[in-house]
Amino acid sequence: MFSLKVLLLLVPTLPLAATLLTAAFGPGLLRNRSHVPVVLAIALAFLASLGLLVQVHQECSSCASFEHIVTLWTWAVVPSQDQDVEHLARGTNVPGGAKLDVGDSPPLTDKEPASRGPLRKDFRIEIALRADPLSAVMLVTVTFVALLVAVYSVGYMHGDPGYWRFFTYIGLFVFSMTMLVSASNFLLLYVFWEAVGLCSYLLIGFWYHKPEAAAAGKKAFLVNRVGDFGFALAVFLIWTTYGSLDFHDGLAGPGVLGEQRCSSGAFAGGTVGTAICLFLLLGACGKSAQLPLHVWLPDAMEGPTPVSALIHAATMVTAGVYMVVRCAPLFAVSVDAQQTVAVVGGLTALMGAIIAASQFDLKRILAYSTISQLGYMFLGLGAGAAAGNTAGMFHLVTHAFFKGLLFLGAGSVMHAMGGVIDIRRLGGLRRVMPVTCWTFLIGCLALAGVFPLAGFWSKDAILAAVHERAGEPGPASPYATLYWLGLVTAGLTAFYSLRAFFFVFFGPEQIPSEAGGHAHESPRSMTVPLVILAVASLIAGAWLELSGSLASFLASTPSLHALGHSKHAAASGGHLDVAAWSTAAAILGIALAWLMYVRSPNVRRGVVRAMEALGLYRLSAEKFFVDEMYQMLIVWPLEGVARLAAWLDRRVIDGLVDLIGWEPRGLGALLRPLQAGLLPLYALVMLLGMLLLLGTLLVS
Amino acid sequence: MDSFGPMLVATIFLPAVGAVLAAASREHARQSALVTSLFVFAMSVVLVEGFPGGTERFAVFDLPWFEAPGGSLAIRFNVGLDGLSLWLFALSALLTVVAVLVSWEAIVERPGTFYALLLLLETGMLGVFAAGDVILFFIFFEFTLVPLFFLIGYWGSEERRYAAIKFFLFTMAGSVLTFLALIALVLWDHGQGGGRVTFSIAELTDRLAQRPMDRSVQLAVFLGLFAGFAIKVPLVPLHTWLPLAHVQAPTAGSVLLAGVLLKVGTYGFLRFSLPMTPDAVALCMPWLLWLCVAGIVYGALVALAQHDIKRLIAYSSVSHLGFCMLGVFALNRLGIEGGVLQMVNHGLTTGGLFAVVGMIYERFHTRQIDDLGGLARHFPRLATFMIILSLASIGLPGLNGFVGEFLLLLGMFHRAWAEAPAAYAASYRVISVLALSGVVLGAWYMLQLIQRVFFGPYRTPAVHAHDAPKQPLRDLSFRESFALGLLTVFIFWIGLQPRFFLDRMSPTLGKILAPAAQAYAKSHQPGSDLHRLAWRPGLAIACEELALETDCRGPNVLFETDAATDAAGAMLPASYSSSKPVPVAETRGSVHVR
Repeated sequence: MFSLKVLLLLVPTLPLAATLLTAAFGPGLLRNRSHVPVVLAIALAFLASLGLLVQVHQECSSCASFEHIVTLWTWAVVPSQDQDVEHLARGTNVPGGAKLDVGDSPPLTDKEPASRGPLRKDFRIEIALRADPLSAVMLVTVTFVALLVAVYSVGYMHGDPGYWRFFTYIGLFVFSMTMLVSASNFLLLYVFWEAVGLCSYLLIGFWYHKPEAAAAGKKAFLVNRVGDFGFALAVFLIWTTYGSLDFHDGLAGPGVLGEQRCSSGAFAGGTVGTAICLFLLLGACGKSAQLPLHVWLPDAMEGPTPVSALIHAATMVTAGVYMVVRCAPLFAVSVDAQQTVAVVGGLTALMGAIIAASQFDLKRILAYSTISQLGYMFLGLGAGAAAGNTAGMFHLVTHAFFKGLLFLGAGSVMHAMGGVIDIRRLGGLRRVMPVTCWTFLIGCLALAGVFPLAGFWSKDAILAAVHERAGEPGPASPYATLYWLGLVTAGLTAFYSLRAFFFVFFGPEQIPSEAGGHAHESPRSMTVPLVILAVASLIAGAWLELSGSLASFLASTPSLHALGHSKHAAASGGHLDVAAWSTAAAILGIALAWLMYVRSPNVRRGVVRAMEALGLYRLSAEKFFVDEMYQMLIVWPLEGVARLAAWLDRRVIDGLVDLIGWEPRGLGALLRPLQAGLLPLYALVMLLGMLLLLGTLLVS
Repeated sequence: MDSFGPMLVATIFLPAVGAVLAAASREHARQSALVTSLFVFAMSVVLVEGFPGGTERFAVFDLPWFEAPGGSLAIRFNVGLDGLSLWLFALSALLTVVAVLVSWEAIVERPGTFYALLLLLETGMLGVFAAGDVILFFIFFEFTLVPLFFLIGYWGSEERRYAAIKFFLFTMAGSVLTFLALIALVLWDHGQGGGRVTFSIAELTDRLAQRPMDRSVQLAVFLGLFAGFAIKVPLVPLHTWLPLAHVQAPTAGSVLLAGVLLKVGTYGFLRFSLPMTPDAVALCMPWLLWLCVAGIVYGALVALAQHDIKRLIAYSSVSHLGFCMLGVFALNRLGIEGGVLQMVNHGLTTGGLFAVVGMIYERFHTRQIDDLGGLARHFPRLATFMIILSLASIGLPGLNGFVGEFLLLLGMFHRAWAEAPAAYAASYRVISVLALSGVVLGAWYMLQLIQRVFFGPYRTPAVHAHDAPKQPLRDLSFRESFALGLLTVFIFWIGLQPRFFLDRMSPTLGKILAPAAQAYAKSHQPGSDLHRLAWRPGLAIACEELALETDCRGPNVLFETDAATDAAGAMLPASYSSSKPVPVAETRGSVHVR
């Protein structure tokens, strides 16, 4: 019906238009109807993404790899300076520039790109979007979850004074996120990378009068800035190494991730290649809350719950995963970088799960769970180019469903319980809110990785990929250890998710006073998205895995295709042993949770006491003291240095300036008494001077 | 001389006429000032619109001014615009409108004089950027000091006298040296080429490109120019006049000081140092880069420790100007274009931020961060503008700051990774990474400011309750929103479509950069003596080289020593006369003009 180009443009522009509309008319005209344009636009964007996906899929079936680039306009051009220098050397004036080339005419200096080397090219950035399997999958996931969350928010945010503001930000976020995943050069990726960060900042601090929310927003932005520092470094290094920032091949030469380079394998290895990857990883760690930059995500739960579901669980935080998958060819040339990704992911997964096991704030449990699951994805990406990337993306998609579901469920509980989120104050809600209860259970089981729910398949794929790497002959690699860490994490995941479930929905009914005595199931606009997401969490994994379509579809992305993805490699179902181990871990975790929180409080007390004795409990409850370490090692020293610099500036540097300024006056003051008008003094000085003169004459 | 020439002259001097009107009309001073400034802005927009691009100067207006008998000396009244000055010219016109609007109710004492001075200042600023003659440039350069001195000294806050005097003396001290260096340039050119003594910047640029000065002379001249321009910019450690002057100045003064007058320093580097003393720039470049990056990090750190909003923003200026100069001294196309664009960006955002601080001060009579909190709730429009301006200042993509910072940092990285000679690669790389870390620090202090002042529980100074305002505090009026909105339009425009701005400046910047880039490339060829020398401490070499060449060269000996020890300024014409009798009278004449 629509061409690929139109669809690709529609996806981001619809939310953008809705945002502008809401921003303009929200406070006055729309007020409580502010959701209408945004929800409508996201729904249409979702349909457009689906259409896009179908078209890309059709194209892929006919050829090995597929991408479609839409170039909108040129953002900036900076000519290479060499032409000026050359002309100066020849003693002529600089030509060109007399007319502004406004259109899309090629730059003057591209006549002889080959002879000038990769770094002598013009800097030219175009607003270019791309459609390929990877983007298409991301677009559908993002708009699907966004649509459900937007619908949910209609009920959840109802009556909030910032209603229009909320939907404006949501629209802006969907625009930025869809642009992020369809950008076709590093600069544009960076631009929207920061733009989603801005939306996150604005939405975390949505209730800005709460000091915690304001502080959390700032923290999120700053920690992300540290990550972006790495990302920017990587982008600069990519420019100096490859002389281009485009993903795709263009008129000016091969792109960084284009088919030409991928097929010839002309990627920089060595120190530079590894450095680029590690800086990219630093950026990804910031956005995707990986060790050591994960500290902002738990605090980000100060924002409204739908935001936590959409931005801080399902979509934005997965941008790091997307970026690493997108740059997979760069990582493929550096074993060190790949192993670092895996180690970071594995450790983060374990740490997140350990912390989540002892928290009492339902949203924070889910936040640490998100950190842990993102760690899983990175573990998958680190496991290698072939199966790992697909597995990571697979987990990204299923995680978006079940973690979105869990957050929305938590929001539903909060909504009914007057904002109480401490699981110790809740209990036995399964009768009060049945829909929330059972959908939440599905989410928990999917997260725990129980057969045949979504999480089982994707987690299994990741563990299988790691297992495969662990079995490879060669020098000692971390993969074997990481595999076992992954299994332990799987058990812990099952434990903490069911622990939260039992706390809230089982046991004696316990409803906090804030609920106001009329605790009830949430309105239809909130439960319908829950049910839809629950269905998705139930079946998506099995469907995508058994049909084998996701893996082979993703492998048609040009950059992934060139890595040697064979279309059937990822779809192998032959890792039964891994499945058995992970299922055993999950069942163990669930059983332990049931024993501790439903069956017998004595077991619970015993386990907690044992953990306390080991010191593990404190470590987990205090989140490994990472925040405190940052405070002591970075924030305070820097603030101290800042204060010292301020003091230095006032007292020393400016003091010196004042000293110099004072000098003429001071000198004058010193000499002034000599010119006091006393004739005898003058006579005396004259006499002394003459004597001195005579004396020197006599001596010589 | 094209048809835009007279219009350019009219644009420059219209504010002066407006100043007379404003002074005369007393009651309606602000209205006449607003009308004048709007008119000037409109004319500058027409000039921008008419600019054809390319490297040629545009809207040139040229008249003989001081002609020595016999035509041996020509100081001309020559104004014109090119790709470098165009945007700074328009920026000055724009920020004057903003300055008038933010003073609207803040200035109650002697408004006639205030607005007259403001408009005179505008004439000075427009003139600096348009001047095509060394003497004319210097006259405008110095002339900007006078109105600003009175603006700070009379309408400033508590320590205004001290601030005004410090500001005046500090910048004056630098510009004396700059003037000597400029005269030295002119006389060198005359000494080599013969004929008449020309003061035309364009002519000097061309002739010095064809026939560069001796390197030792270049160094001396460069250092002289550096003294004045570096103080104006300001580069650390010559910056201490800036926080003081910014904090004490009335809002309009801060807006123009930060927005435009700091750019006169960077403009000077670009107009004179880069094209006229390229070898010296190439030689000093590593140290200049260190100076810039020191400013970036140091300014950001000091800003982090401030409790006064205005001081915080003043120090952020030090940091941002460090970025601009870093881009310029990276000596490549990306860097210089990013640097110049960042000059414009800084004018827009920091000018806007000072305006916002002024609006806060008008309402609460405090600038202390600790006195304020949660303003976003009751002043949503103020908060919105503040957030947009802050985000622009910390380089959020989509807004203007990002474009400049990205380009100039990319230029610096290019210099460090792709073009660095081995001896320098490590130091350049450290510089680039440190500069990038300044971006993180920048986000820290600005977001901390927003969090404390605009978010959290509502808090206003306790004193205020006793002051009993006559009417309740209001969010931004239409006038205030208009002033900030005007800036916001450009903030988004540059951020979203920088090409419109970059394309118009690009050819000129290429021309300005070429000699320095070439000199740098030449000096770092293996075997070049500069390459050998350059990694030893710069000033030591400068002196050594100077001494060396002074010994073995004839007629220019006196001249060089003058330029080097130009602190003893008055000696120049006299000593020059001993070796070259002809131009004495003229030189004296030019001094007299000053």
